[in-house]
Amino acid sequence: MVPEQRKKEILDGIRNAVVQYDEDQCVSWCMTSLQEGLDAYETTMKGLAAGMDTVGELYTRQEYFVPELLLCSDALYAGLNILRPHIRPDHAASKGKLLLGVVEGDIHDIGKNLVKTMFEASGWQVVDLGKDVKLDRFVEEQKKIKADLVGLSALMTTSMMAIEKAVAMLKAADPGVKVLVGGAPLNSEIAANFGADGYAEDAVSAVQEAGRMIKKQPV
Amino acid sequence: MSFKPDRMNTKERMKALFEGRALDRVPLYPFLLGFCARNVGHPIQVMYDAPAKSFDAQQRTLDQYGFDWGPMYGYASYGTWEFGGEIKMPTGGFEQAPMHTVFPVESEEDVERLRLPDVKTAGSLPRAMEFSRLQETAPTPVTVVLGGPFTIAGNVCSVEKVCRWMLKKPELVHRILQMAADHIVDVVTYWSQTFGAQRVFPQIWEPSASNDILSPKQFERFVFPRLLESSMKILGLGINHMLYHICGEQNKNLSLWAQVPMGAPGICSFGQEVDIGAAIDHVGTSSIIAGNISPSALQSGSPETVYDLCKDALLKGLKAPRGFMLMPGCEVPPSTPPHNVYVMRKAIDDFGRYE
Repeated sequence: MVPEQRKKEILDGIRNAVVQYDEDQCVSWCMTSLQEGLDAYETTMKGLAAGMDTVGELYTRQEYFVPELLLCSDALYAGLNILRPHIRPDHAASKGKLLLGVVEGDIHDIGKNLVKTMFEASGWQVVDLGKDVKLDRFVEEQKKIKADLVGLSALMTTSMMAIEKAVAMLKAADPGVKVLVGGAPLNSEIAANFGADGYAEDAVSAVQEAGRMIKKQPV
Repeated sequence: MSFKPDRMNTKERMKALFEGRALDRVPLYPFLLGFCARNVGHPIQVMYDAPAKSFDAQQRTLDQYGFDWGPMYGYASYGTWEFGGEIKMPTGGFEQAPMHTVFPVESEEDVERLRLPDVKTAGSLPRAMEFSRLQETAPTPVTVVLGGPFTIAGNVCSVEKVCRWMLKKPELVHRILQMAADHIVDVVTYWSQTFGAQRVFPQIWEPSASNDILSPKQFERFVFPRLLESSMKILGLGINHMLYHICGEQNKNLSLWAQVPMGAPGICSFGQEVDIGAAIDHVGTSSIIAGNISPSALQSGSPETVYDLCKDALLKGLKAPRGFMLMPGCEVPPSTPPHNVYVMRKAIDDFGRYE
C-alpha cells in the first residue's frame, strides 16, 4: 500500500509533467508509479488525464496554443505507453468508442489529432482512420466497430462539403448513428444543416459535446 | 439585374484607390480560382498546371461578375514543392487546390540540408512566371503569390513539426523561417528584375500564423521579425504595394501586423474572424483594408446571409481612411452558388457608394 502522501506526490508529478509538456519527467513518474505499486488505471485517470484536463483549461483560457497542446499530448502518450499494459482488464472498459477521421479531400489533421488526444485522455477508445479518408470507409468501419460516435473534421471550405455527404451516408447505413463534426469552416448552424448530431469548436469542447450526445441516447 | 452606372471604370477606380483619391464606389476584389475553372468548364487543376487556361478562365469570370482586379496564380500550400517536396494537384470532388504529399523536411538533419530554391526552376515558379507574362501583356497587375514565412515553414516540414520545434528546438524553426523569408525576397527580386519593380504586386498569404495555431507571443518571437525583414527588403526593391492575406483568427496579432510595412499604401486582407472595424482600427491608417466575407457563407449560406455580411462589411469599410475593397475572406469554394458571388457586387451597388 502506497502512503497517501507519496501517492499524491507521484500523481502531482505526472500531472505537472503533462502540463509542463515534460515527456521525460512524465515517463519517469509513470515508471515510479508502477514500481511503487500504484494502480495503473488510477494513475492514468488522476495523473495523465487530470493533467490533460488542466491543459484543456489553459487552452480555453488562451494561455496555451497549438504548440503547447501538441507537446502536452506527446507527454501524455509517453506516459500512456508505460501505464497501458498494466491496466487491469476490468478497468479497460472505456467511456465510449469514437470513430474519427478527416474527410476525403482534406489533409489537415492537427485538429483531429488533438481531438483524439483529448478523447483518449478522457477515457474514450478512439479508432483513428487518419486524414483524406474516403467516405465509404467511414461507413464500412462504423458497420464493423459500431462506435458510439463518429467524429468528422475538415479544415477547407470545399472539403467541408464531404462532411455533409458522409453524414448522409452514415445515417443511411444506420439511422441511429451519432455524428460529431468540427473544423474551422464549420459552425453549429452548418453542422445542423449537414444533419450532424453535434458540433464542437475545438478539441476541448468536443469531449464535452460527446458526453452530452451520449447521454441523450435512449437507454 | 442591372447596376447603377459607375462614374469610373475598373482601371480608374483602382488607380484612384492607390493614389488616395476619391472613388465612385468600393472595389470588388477577387479571390476565386477553382470557381473560375468550373465557370468555364475546366477541371480545377488547370488553374494550377495550365497558366494560359487559368488566366483565361479567371479573366472571363472576373469580367462576368464585375471584379475590379485581374487574374492571379497561387495556392496556400506554396513552399512544399519549391523546397524539394511533392504536391498533388486537386482532382477529387472535394479538393480545391494543390496539397502537399511529401514534405521536404522530415528530420532535424533535413533542416541542415535545406537549401534556398532556384527561383527560375523550383516547383510552381516556372508556371507562375508564365502566368505573370500573361498578366504583363493583358495588361493587369503582375502579381506573384507566395506564402508568408510561417506558412511556407509549415509547408516545408508540416505545421505540427514547426509547432513542436518552436518549443523544443527553436533554432531549427528560426533557420527554416529565415530561409522562407529569404526565399520570398529572392522570388520578388526575380519578378522585379523581369517586369520592373513598379509593375510587380507581391501577395503574401500568411494564414498559418494565426492565433488558431500560435500565441501572440510566439507570433512576435518567431514570425514578426521575418515579416518585418522581408517586407522592408521587398519595398526596398522599389515595389510600391504589397498585399498581405491574413485569414484566420488574427485578432491578437493585429497590433504587430500594424507595424509590418506593406507599401504606400499596402493592402491587408482579412478573413471573417477579424471584424472590418477592428481591421481599420489597427491597420487602416497605413493600408487599404480588404475582406472579409466568409467562404463558408458564400458556399452554404443563403443569398440574404451573404448580402447581410456584405452590407455590414461595406458600412464599416466605407470609413477606412486608406480605402476598402470588398473581398471573400479566403478563396471562394468552387461549388459556391454563382448567385452568392453576384450578391457581393449587388451589395456594393446598394451600400458601397461614396457618391
